[in-house]
Amino acid sequence: MPMASLSRWTMSYFAAALAFLLAAEALAVAGIGYPAAGLSEPATLILVHLVAIGWLSLAMAGALLQFVPVLVSRPLAFPKLALPALFMLAIGLVLLCTGFATLAGWIDAPLDLMPLGAVFLLCGFSLLGFMLVATLLSTRPVALFARFVLTGLACLAITALSGTAFSTILSGRSGWLGPVALLPGGLPFHALLGLGGWLGLIAFGVSYRLFVMFMIAPEPPARRVRPVLLVSGLGLALAFAGLVAPFASFEPGARWIAAVLVVLAAAGLFYGRDILALYRARRRKALEINMLASIPAFIALGFGLALLPAAILAHAGDGPVAALVFLIAFGWLGGLTLAQLVKIVSFVTWLETYAPRLGRGPAPRVGDLVAMPRTGRWFLLSYGGVLLGAATLAIEAAAGFRLAMVLCLIGTAGLMVELVQIRRLSEIKAADRPPAHERPQLLATRAEERRPVHVEARSLAHPRA
Amino acid sequence: MSKPEASLIRELDVRPLLRAGEEPFQAIMDAVGALAPGQSLRLIAPFRPVPLFSVMANRGFSASDRALDGGDWEVLFSPVAGMQTEAGLATGSSPSALSWGDPIEELDLVDLEPPEPMVRILEALEDLKPGDVLFALLSREPVFLFPELAKRQHEWAGNFDASGAAYRLLVRHGGGRAHG
Repeated sequence: MPMASLSRWTMSYFAAALAFLLAAEALAVAGIGYPAAGLSEPATLILVHLVAIGWLSLAMAGALLQFVPVLVSRPLAFPKLALPALFMLAIGLVLLCTGFATLAGWIDAPLDLMPLGAVFLLCGFSLLGFMLVATLLSTRPVALFARFVLTGLACLAITALSGTAFSTILSGRSGWLGPVALLPGGLPFHALLGLGGWLGLIAFGVSYRLFVMFMIAPEPPARRVRPVLLVSGLGLALAFAGLVAPFASFEPGARWIAAVLVVLAAAGLFYGRDILALYRARRRKALEINMLASIPAFIALGFGLALLPAAILAHAGDGPVAALVFLIAFGWLGGLTLAQLVKIVSFVTWLETYAPRLGRGPAPRVGDLVAMPRTGRWFLLSYGGVLLGAATLAIEAAAGFRLAMVLCLIGTAGLMVELVQIRRLSEIKAADRPPAHERPQLLATRAEERRPVHVEARSLAHPRA
Repeated sequence: MSKPEASLIRELDVRPLLRAGEEPFQAIMDAVGALAPGQSLRLIAPFRPVPLFSVMANRGFSASDRALDGGDWEVLFSPVAGMQTEAGLATGSSPSALSWGDPIEELDLVDLEPPEPMVRILEALEDLKPGDVLFALLSREPVFLFPELAKRQHEWAGNFDASGAAYRLLVRHGGGRAHG
């Protein structure tokens, strides 16, 4: 039966993700990591992994647990694994970062914490992947959007496995690799597969489906969407080849990285054309905050993807490359995630609270749960920080970058408060809120606990009554 | 219909749930929801779940049951072959839809963004009487509506039109109401 329910732990994933983002931004404000430290120094690795795993991956995971079942019209497979996966990912990330801190000489702990953390992360991502793949493959034929997610999950697997291998090298236990030198040459490909494959490609695929729904736009034809997947797949396959090249005693250089980026930029071009068409063809003329706040994210993606290959080929140095990667990670992926979080949290909260009551009287609209224009101002602050951050990174102005991160930090904190207010139905008049004990909980949706009011169910439980 | 192969059967044992004092209905409906087209459900219960037979028949499943040792029962719910595909209805549709009367209300909800179509349909149903049929045209499969319809005991049948651009939904009022 085509049916989807609310994902119980998605809100917990989002809360953990936002907490890790705040932590990363606070560290950046404190001057830890690039540009004060080198790009591959432990301090920067802490920051990068807090953002990539803690913030972006957990938010993506929470969103996928909610929307993959909706998009394939099937219930989530093995939903009980969602919470253990979250714990494993969070523990794994903390262990990994503790290992990096040891590597940096800040604390005195065993370096083996790094591979241990990597194993936890691997387990957490495996559980997540297992749930999502089982759900996606429960319908045949496998839809085009599902292929985006499956390809992205394959990239996640390679990213997590290569990260685990790197962590054994950094902890001094690389004997198993023999003479093969994976580091530092493998790092860019690990990052490309993680940011471009797992986070980027899935953001591409899911946004096609969600934007059609959010803006009431016509579904783009498959013949236009398919090239995006094919070309991205080609770029990611090149990145994979670059990662494993040392096993064939081949050292891919900057040109290989630039080639991957050029192919991904071509995919991005096709994708950008489709997204622009979706915005233009929308039947819902007034854009909601999630779609408005996504526009700067797409601009950031365009700039980042267009300039990054050139910056690498021209050996522009660490500053410009860091600035462009920052623009893609914070501007595009981060901005898009924050923007859609507002929509997802308000939609889920509305559904949880009002779906059972519909028909009994007037219900607020989903948009009524969001405080406007306040929410919009936090986005302005956040994107202002991203713009300033990219500019200051490009010229390696460390103090300016810390100031930029203050703006991002305030923006994030403001949006976090807004999301909590949405869960608490703060924008809804007291009279229209359900009684306190029926209001949504902050971190878990209660939809699955709700007992069905079904005559059959009652007589089923008490057959002799 | 030929006997289903083992891989085409999903098994659900509700005895532990009932022992724990929980309602098994949602678990059963979730299991039914997770069935692949053509897949059967083998249900094991500590009694013969007669009320479930009509619920499942409405969803296009036939039941064959046998007593197990110790007073337990095993029921095999098998999809009635061809019933839904012949009528071109989506899985989960009530096969009895073919004999429902004409809709007394029609809603065009194609241009509404989710969850507005769900709001309109549930509001409209609230004003109808048991047995009344409502027709709605939507731009997508209303996946969040179906569980809500089931909880209110309404039956539904739906499918996409030939172009795949519009989803046609029939709902027959089953007597339930908003329950929040």
